[in-house]
Amino acid sequence: MLIDGLLIGGLIIVVGIGFSLCFGVMHIVDFAVGEWVMLGAYTGFILARYFGHDPMIYLPLVFLIFCALGLAIYPLIYRAVSGKRHNPVLMGLVFTFGLSILAKGGALSVWGYHIQSITTWLSGKSLALGPLTIPALRFSGFLFGILITLLLMLFLYKTRLGITIRATAQDREMANLLGTDVRKVGALVYSLYAGVTGMSGILIGALFSIHAAMGVKYCTMAFFVVVLAGMGYVPGVIIAGLILGLLQSFVGVYIGGRYNLLALFMVMYGVLLITPKGILRRGI
Amino acid sequence: MPLKNAHTQPHTSAPSWRWALLGLALLIAFLLPWPLSPLWIRIATEVIMWAGLAQSWNIIGGYTGYLSFGHGAFFGVGAYMTGIVMLHLGWPFALGLLISGIAAALMAVIIGYPTLRLRGAYFAIATWAFGEMIRQIATILEITGGAFGMQLPAYLNLPFFYYLFLLVTGLTYLTTYLLLERSPFGYKLLAIREHEEAAEMVGVDTVTIKIKAFALSAFFPGVLGGIYAYWVTYIHPDSVLGAQLTDFMVVMAFLGGIGSLWGPFLGAVVVQLVNRVLWLVWGEGTFYLIIIGAAICTVVLFIPSGIIGLLQSRIFLPGTAWKEIRKKVKW
Amino acid sequence: MLLQSHDLTKSFGGLVAVNQLSLKVEKGTILGIIGPNGSGKTTFFNLITGMLPSDSGKVIFNGQEITKLRPHRIARLGVGRTFQIPAPFSQMTVLENVMVSAFLHTSSMKTAKKKAEEVLEKVGLDEKADFQVLNVTLEDRKRLELARALAIEPILLLLDEVMSGLTPVEVKSAINLIKQMHHQGLTIIVVEHVMDVILSLCDRVAVLDYGRKIAEDTPQKIVNHPEVIRAYLGERYRARG
Repeated sequence: MLIDGLLIGGLIIVVGIGFSLCFGVMHIVDFAVGEWVMLGAYTGFILARYFGHDPMIYLPLVFLIFCALGLAIYPLIYRAVSGKRHNPVLMGLVFTFGLSILAKGGALSVWGYHIQSITTWLSGKSLALGPLTIPALRFSGFLFGILITLLLMLFLYKTRLGITIRATAQDREMANLLGTDVRKVGALVYSLYAGVTGMSGILIGALFSIHAAMGVKYCTMAFFVVVLAGMGYVPGVIIAGLILGLLQSFVGVYIGGRYNLLALFMVMYGVLLITPKGILRRGI
Repeated sequence: MPLKNAHTQPHTSAPSWRWALLGLALLIAFLLPWPLSPLWIRIATEVIMWAGLAQSWNIIGGYTGYLSFGHGAFFGVGAYMTGIVMLHLGWPFALGLLISGIAAALMAVIIGYPTLRLRGAYFAIATWAFGEMIRQIATILEITGGAFGMQLPAYLNLPFFYYLFLLVTGLTYLTTYLLLERSPFGYKLLAIREHEEAAEMVGVDTVTIKIKAFALSAFFPGVLGGIYAYWVTYIHPDSVLGAQLTDFMVVMAFLGGIGSLWGPFLGAVVVQLVNRVLWLVWGEGTFYLIIIGAAICTVVLFIPSGIIGLLQSRIFLPGTAWKEIRKKVKW
Repeated sequence: MLLQSHDLTKSFGGLVAVNQLSLKVEKGTILGIIGPNGSGKTTFFNLITGMLPSDSGKVIFNGQEITKLRPHRIARLGVGRTFQIPAPFSQMTVLENVMVSAFLHTSSMKTAKKKAEEVLEKVGLDEKADFQVLNVTLEDRKRLELARALAIEPILLLLDEVMSGLTPVEVKSAINLIKQMHHQGLTIIVVEHVMDVILSLCDRVAVLDYGRKIAEDTPQKIVNHPEVIRAYLGERYRARG
């Protein structure tokens, strides 16, 4: 129970970092984040089913596919956000909201309401780590989360491109004045975010289950993490992800699984009312 | 300096043919149940209900510019209130409706005070979170029947519900017309939407006005929810508090044209029509969601003022339409 | 004494934008506020009008303390303000923009419309009353800012860099307009960069630098004030002055 909670927290951190950057760089709230997860899961599922091999092998491929998808959709989002009509942030929000309905409708139409799950060679196996026996799948999920988060942080903090992205996320106007092509940075961020989120989808699908309407749950979690962290503030995402994990475990064990989402919503709502810029007050 | 264009002042009374058209439409609406089969009466009733819901959302979303993504909660609260009042207290239906409306409005005032302080995207997320919270709570509480919902006594009189929905939706539109299109209140809401700080600078009490608008936008869904509960006789959290309710309201308002009087009505008609047509052709399905999603995306990208906006810019002449689309698609 | 600020202070993070600012404005006069960019002029306006909460200090208007009041209350008491970058209500016409202000004193559509038309005539925008704000030039938007502020029937008017972006001809026209309003009894505080404007309009001038008042006097004396010269032109020039 405890591990499950931390695990989902860890995976959501990966999604959350991308999501937070999207907001910082492009000022859009991607309501379709849950759908990216869902589509990633289904893609992994389909690839494994029709081409054989273990779904995990397709992780890199899914990453590329979703990067491409993100890159393709980005110009539309950019257009939605830079319209003449007032309130570009809200227009972007409504647009991604429309995308999420589109994706969900598509998924429901193609796959119906059946619940699937992804099985890999890791499913059901266990690892012996000292005194503990840990399910292999959960362990790999955990590793995946840490690995990708590390890679992302390395990219963001140690590479020139990454620093540019962070700068743009914190102060778009200034970055613009300093010569950064904000539009290109946005495209990069969005496609990276889509790729990473799609990949996480496979793991989430393997660890939990896949169904066409699963997007809402992960959308909620992504929002939770980003709201607590403060929109646009990446380090906060890690802390918030851990809080998410702990909260899920706590609620699952002591109060009852069906109160999970309620707890998430209550905390999220509370944070928005009290410290809208995140617990650490570093959000935009 | 003399005033020019004295005859084109803003918000002049609509030309008389428009009033005649409205009268005719109302007459048709009134007589509609007579020739229709029960199935079509039901469909018409749904369209009318959604027209009312979409307009209610429009009050806070379209006119005031605060996108409420949890608005379905007011509908659900209304539905449950009527259910509880009728089942557990044995009070008459009419009273239940009134209580539903007031309860929804009250809830709006209570959560509005802290939540309306948030800007744009944060407000959207907060209301979304709030809406889901209410749904979760309804699933848990005993008085609402938990996840199993509530079963209300049946009252099988289709035309009754049709006329009741017509009445309440009509009231919604009338109120919107009087309070938002033709009064200082409406102007102030638009000012808040366009530039809230500047509005404060010219003496608009934004906090109070926003709360009033929010309460107004919650009252009607509350009443409509109450009618709905009695109409379908069985309600449960997913049917009256699900996110798809808010989704529909938002889509209809956007598609028809946010911030306009008749936009939501058009949007409701179009969406329901598409839904029904697809249902008839393909059977019960989720394909309409794809259409809806694509529709919102298209609206945001190319026609942010909705169908009403298109009509107002006289763009439905074939040649002009194509030229305009070509112009806009040049990214 | 129409407006007084006592030791008004406001910081953003580590930066002190307004530093114990004490200013006085006599009724019926025009006060000019000048200072280099970032000296806190707009922040000062934001503090007076209630848009920003101050960290410490007081603001007294017309005998009443308005420090903690919300902006719309302060507007009701008679403080009008224009924004440096015009902030009109975009999806409305010019007339409708001004009507919103007019609703402060009336609930009747007819009366508000008449009032708005009168104000528009005063600023010279009556011919464009039915224009959509989006289709209107910068100079007209500035006039609209003014009209919107005037329609609330203010006693004190705060003008934030109205002249920026205007051609010399437009500036002359704006100066005349301001003088007219002054003659009609309005007390005005003008924030400006252009010294000619300050010289031709103001009874007194206050100079800000890094949020502090470094001088306050008549325009003529200010121009020759050593601190002012230093602030604007830098240390090197002071020695020569």
